[in-house]
Amino acid sequence: PPGEAAVRPGERKNLKPRRLIDAGGKVKKGKPHCSQTPVLVRGMGRYSRSAMYSRKALYKRKYSAAKSKVEKKKKVKVLTTVTKPVGGDKNGSTWVVNLHKMPRYYPTEDVPRNKQARKLRASITRGNILLILTGRHRGKRVIFLKQLSSGLLLVTGPLSLNRAPLRRTHQKSVIAASTKIDISGVRIPEHLTDAYFKKKKLRKPRHQEGEIFDTEREKYKITEQRKVDQKAVDSQILRRIKCSKLLTKNLIK
Amino acid sequence: MSGRLWSKAIFADYKQGLWNQREHTALLKIDGVYARDETDFYLGKRCAYMYKAKNNTVTTPGGKSKTRVIWGKITRTHGNSGMVHAKFGSNLPANATGHRIRVMLYPSRI
Repeated sequence: PPGEAAVRPGERKNLKPRRLIDAGGKVKKGKPHCSQTPVLVRGMGRYSRSAMYSRKALYKRKYSAAKSKVEKKKKVKVLTTVTKPVGGDKNGSTWVVNLHKMPRYYPTEDVPRNKQARKLRASITRGNILLILTGRHRGKRVIFLKQLSSGLLLVTGPLSLNRAPLRRTHQKSVIAASTKIDISGVRIPEHLTDAYFKKKKLRKPRHQEGEIFDTEREKYKITEQRKVDQKAVDSQILRRIKCSKLLTKNLIK
Repeated sequence: MSGRLWSKAIFADYKQGLWNQREHTALLKIDGVYARDETDFYLGKRCAYMYKAKNNTVTTPGGKSKTRVIWGKITRTHGNSGMVHAKFGSNLPANATGHRIRVMLYPSRI
């Protein structure tokens, strides 16, 4: 069937099947497939638009909304051009304007690109101990909880052991140890997302006379919400850590 | 926070041919790395040349201090004995030859 396409080796299947209605009025379920243009360079496919047209057999696949019989009988004459009057003596009285103008921009890829899947190093798994390399907590060993949607890692000290709170870190600034804790039963609150951890702008400039130089930066205050969440996560994890003295010592700073 | 989180290295030389030297690339000798295959770990790692100056400048959101840094990264190996190319944000000053360069452990690949 024309809706199918062979998947090239090494290409990902990540498109949702589109609802296609062919000329016969039946709904076809397109099979998920990926871009037929092998990528040459980011944003540029191997085959041109016209080449892709014939490769995908689009001449066979012309789908349109199902028409009623009455509609089919009515053949609407679509105006393609319009004649407009022109001023001036020697310009001829009229000129013909194309109603359907050629597009100024042709996208280089025929298929909309999907978001990249978040990569996570194989050495970093849930419950893994990570060594933090940068930032104020550098040198501390913390426990990896999960990867957030932005790709950053959510980790926790736990706070009572090494004063490292629930925090985001980047994969690149972390060494994964081979030591793991089994945190399979630990439930991490759903609201711990990137937006929750995002830095908030603290300073409020107030442009009033005499006060321009007096306004100080508001200090970062730990919200109650954070304390609650920290406790919620840490209590679960500490239970699992305390089983092993060596492990606790490892994490304590 | 115990211990050093960076490897010791020495700024040995600028990259040079027989007659000319190219100051945009520095050659570093990392402590303990004396073979080509051993340098693989360090490729891409950030390195820093730290030095002191008279005036206080801002270091890290927080404090001011007299230390200054030129950041760079290790770009490739050099030769068979563990030397390494590094490129810095601005070329290293010549008075740094023979002096300490810190090779950080990040961006980490392990």
